[in-house]
Amino acid sequence: MNSQIIFHPFVLPFVLGMAFVLTYCVVGLIRVIAQLPKDDRKKFWRSLVTPKTAWANIRDLFGDCLFHVKIWKRNPVLGYMHSAIAFGWFMIIVIGHIMLFTLKPLQGVEVEGMARTFTNFYYPIFYKFFATETPVFAFLMDFFLLMIISGILIAVVKKIHSKIVGVKRVTKFGFADNMIRFALWTIFPFRLIAEKTNIMAFWWLYSIDLLIFMCMLPFTRYMHIPTEALFILLRHAGIKPSDPRKGYALAQIYSCPSCGLCIDACPMSVNDKNSGNTSAYFMKKLRNGDKEEAQRIAETCMQCGKCVEVCPVSIESCDIKMSQRAAVPYEIHSDHSYLDVISTEAEKSSKVLYFAGCMTQLTPKIMRAMKKIMTAAGEEYQFLDENGGICCGRPMLLSGKTAEAQAMIEKNTELIKQSGTTKLVLSCPICYKVFKEEYHLEGIEIQHHTQYIDELVKSGKLKVNKNDVNYVYHDPCELGRAFGVYDEPREVLENVGNLCKAKSEKELSICCGGSLGSFNLTQKERDEITENSVNDLMFNNPDEIVTACPLCLKTFARKSPVKVKDIAEVVESQIIN
Amino acid sequence: MDFGFCLSPSSHVKMDSVDLTTFNRLKETNPDINTCIACGSCTATCTAGNFTEMSFRRLLLMLQRGKEDEAKKMIQRCMLCGKCTLVCPRGINIRKILLDITR
Amino acid sequence: MKENILIIGGGAAGMEAATQLQKMGLTPIIVEKSEQLGGHVAQWDRLFPAFHPAKDVVEKMLNQVKDVKTYLNTEVTDIQRDDNGFHATLSNNEKIDAKAVILATGFDIFKAERKQEYGYGIYNNVMTSVELEKFFRTGHDARINNPKKIGFVHCVGARDVKVCNTYCSKVCCTTALKQACEIKEVFPDAEVYTFYMDLRMFGPGYEDLYLKTQKDFDVKCVRGRVCEVSEDMDGKLVIKAEDTLFGKPLKMTLDVLVLMCAMEKNKSIDAIQQKLGVANNTDGFMQNQDMYLGMNTTAQDGVFVAGACTAPKSLPDTIGEARSVATQVFNYINNK
Repeated sequence: MNSQIIFHPFVLPFVLGMAFVLTYCVVGLIRVIAQLPKDDRKKFWRSLVTPKTAWANIRDLFGDCLFHVKIWKRNPVLGYMHSAIAFGWFMIIVIGHIMLFTLKPLQGVEVEGMARTFTNFYYPIFYKFFATETPVFAFLMDFFLLMIISGILIAVVKKIHSKIVGVKRVTKFGFADNMIRFALWTIFPFRLIAEKTNIMAFWWLYSIDLLIFMCMLPFTRYMHIPTEALFILLRHAGIKPSDPRKGYALAQIYSCPSCGLCIDACPMSVNDKNSGNTSAYFMKKLRNGDKEEAQRIAETCMQCGKCVEVCPVSIESCDIKMSQRAAVPYEIHSDHSYLDVISTEAEKSSKVLYFAGCMTQLTPKIMRAMKKIMTAAGEEYQFLDENGGICCGRPMLLSGKTAEAQAMIEKNTELIKQSGTTKLVLSCPICYKVFKEEYHLEGIEIQHHTQYIDELVKSGKLKVNKNDVNYVYHDPCELGRAFGVYDEPREVLENVGNLCKAKSEKELSICCGGSLGSFNLTQKERDEITENSVNDLMFNNPDEIVTACPLCLKTFARKSPVKVKDIAEVVESQIIN
Repeated sequence: MDFGFCLSPSSHVKMDSVDLTTFNRLKETNPDINTCIACGSCTATCTAGNFTEMSFRRLLLMLQRGKEDEAKKMIQRCMLCGKCTLVCPRGINIRKILLDITR
Repeated sequence: MKENILIIGGGAAGMEAATQLQKMGLTPIIVEKSEQLGGHVAQWDRLFPAFHPAKDVVEKMLNQVKDVKTYLNTEVTDIQRDDNGFHATLSNNEKIDAKAVILATGFDIFKAERKQEYGYGIYNNVMTSVELEKFFRTGHDARINNPKKIGFVHCVGARDVKVCNTYCSKVCCTTALKQACEIKEVFPDAEVYTFYMDLRMFGPGYEDLYLKTQKDFDVKCVRGRVCEVSEDMDGKLVIKAEDTLFGKPLKMTLDVLVLMCAMEKNKSIDAIQQKLGVANNTDGFMQNQDMYLGMNTTAQDGVFVAGACTAPKSLPDTIGEARSVATQVFNYINNK
């Protein structure tokens, strides 16, 4: 080992690659921040210094970028695979740098000023060629290098046979992605061989591999490595993507590692033909600038939110899809002036206000059950849309028409405020989502009937019998994943019968397939999703399927082998008078 | 034969010259469109139809009878709530068709 | 030649096939799951188009099969086939050997509660066509209390993708108009509305029945599908539909709403059907070889079908098929 040498031409490819990738990242960073709308940018700066968000930033930077907690949670094998490579590599770089300080001056060679800085750049990456280290460091470096290689071995197995590591479908890659992956896989074996044999060819191969990797990085999925950190900061700033290709969305596009965990999760993947409609591919199309395909996928998505739930990077693909939808200039400039003349028959009082919603008008059992429940509990209530009402605005929003939805939102707000109520009870989770997110109903508590019934039962106002029917509960997407209303319905059901488990529960529950979110899915494709969801619910052979959404109810009823009921109906049948 | 004058403008739908471009375009992406049996469920259940003359059944006919402008005007009443799609006994994806018309 | 022929189902098709087979010198054996022969026809009061009493037809049929070996309250629980023919096990543990099997299992009535928006099982005054027929037969039903306005909804569970039945159920149009006349006979002052999409009056005398509803009974036909039913403060039904001929949505209150429920495949036979290797067609009914010359034969040699198990059928259709299946079976046995 020649400790006198501080430079060799084989470091040049690496230095070149590093310089390129750093420049690209800095330019990209400025671009993303410049593209943010002014208000969002302000929010972003403020979030960096607000203690609460700053803490969340630190927590997630370590948890997500370094320790990959979310992948571990999702699938331990994948967690190890990813951590071995990413964390191992990170440690090698860090320890390399620490070593640099302990080895000062460089094995007797005096290096000054610029040369010193320049040397620092590549020295830790190729240190074994230039210097010898202490046994402790030697062990640590070898340990992490072997750890990386073990991760790569798993990755190779996953590529050949993904089911071994518990993944059914993986993202299909193009040439560039495959090539950079090959480069990544070979970097470390080359380094190991170079370090152990000191054959010059392997040092060159190692360095050229690094060049290939870093030059291709901005144009492939591996861009997620530098971008994720920025994305975490932006996410905690609490902003929403306003353009599907710019600013915050751009940060998300580059943060998507195309890992494909969302492919298995997506309810549409039940038909292999449709697995191309999943978020992983959507993000890819956006990155490649394929607007037409991105639009098609955005409009096919059911907005069930499961991809967001399982995403190890927490990419908010549903929001990006919504902004993609909004990007299409549909010639709908709704004229909702007719809404002006509508008034409510509701009298001014502080009674509970019940709003069934459009979909519930088609499931009279829910309305009847709710009336009976409220009467039995001695609640005074008014029924806002007993004779038909105005749409809540969510379907219009789902079509990307924010301004058009606003007219309905304003009219409903006016009607509700006129009633003087302090509590609004809704039967439809679709309404619930928009009421919670877009309505400004200060001083009015908004509840879905699952929460309301739970409250009535717990407060003793509503007395119910327990029977021995086995129920399984289906979490409607817009109640479960969107707001985490998981416990209330289950507690209610435990009070009236036996609750058994579905195969996929709570945040992992599978969309019924009826979602208003999708424009493009055909009845047949929806039926496949429904059948899959029903099979999942039937896992423990329940006597009845219970849900809390009129749309889920109607969708399941077509395909279920057992009775499908709304939770209100189940409770109604068990009321003690 | 054209004598260069007539007594009064005809109120007939001129089936010989109806422009079906939009309807045919819709048919390509929504083949179900032809399965409509004009049962009127969509109109009867329509949330906007409660207050206006919105009727998807008639809208489809307008497109097939050369009244595209009227059809596009009618769409502006729609709330896109999707109730029609839910009740349609033929499983026609009405919301998508409405959006496609305006694309 | 006293070969056994197993007939599953003792309705119109099963009884008529048995009658003919017996006359041909074969030995039909009827296995009927309910407690009496006659099937759905026995539940009916009068038959369209000429208001002929169903009882009259059923009694004649019963009289013809009185010597046929019949198992009531019995189902076929298992069936095997070998070179000697079919070997069936019954729910009473008896075993039957037969040279051929006729599936005459008929239909089920669409469960109206599956169309929740029509309010069956939710609102008191919503009833099915079968229940109305029972009212005509027995003369009482708590829901029918001197009604002033009665509505009939066509195509409940038929021509409807949303309940997975895309076919037309064939007989409901005519039945609705028959029942409309009958209810007018009982309550001459009542207004009767039918909500139809197409009035499919396809048979002899059926169009006359339609003319009768218009000339003699003033039945009001509205072209439009009822989409929602609710109840007002007085417990009256409020229905919403579009009057598609007038081009406007309408709302009206009714005292009684009758749902013309479609015919669906009788699923209680599925397990045996599967064992026999008979598939279903796209409408969910049993698949026969073709609808012209092979309407009674199936993909399986020796397994025959007759009546409404292959598609919705009227009574004359069913009787015709039963007679035809007898000929097919006779030829099958003779050519063996």
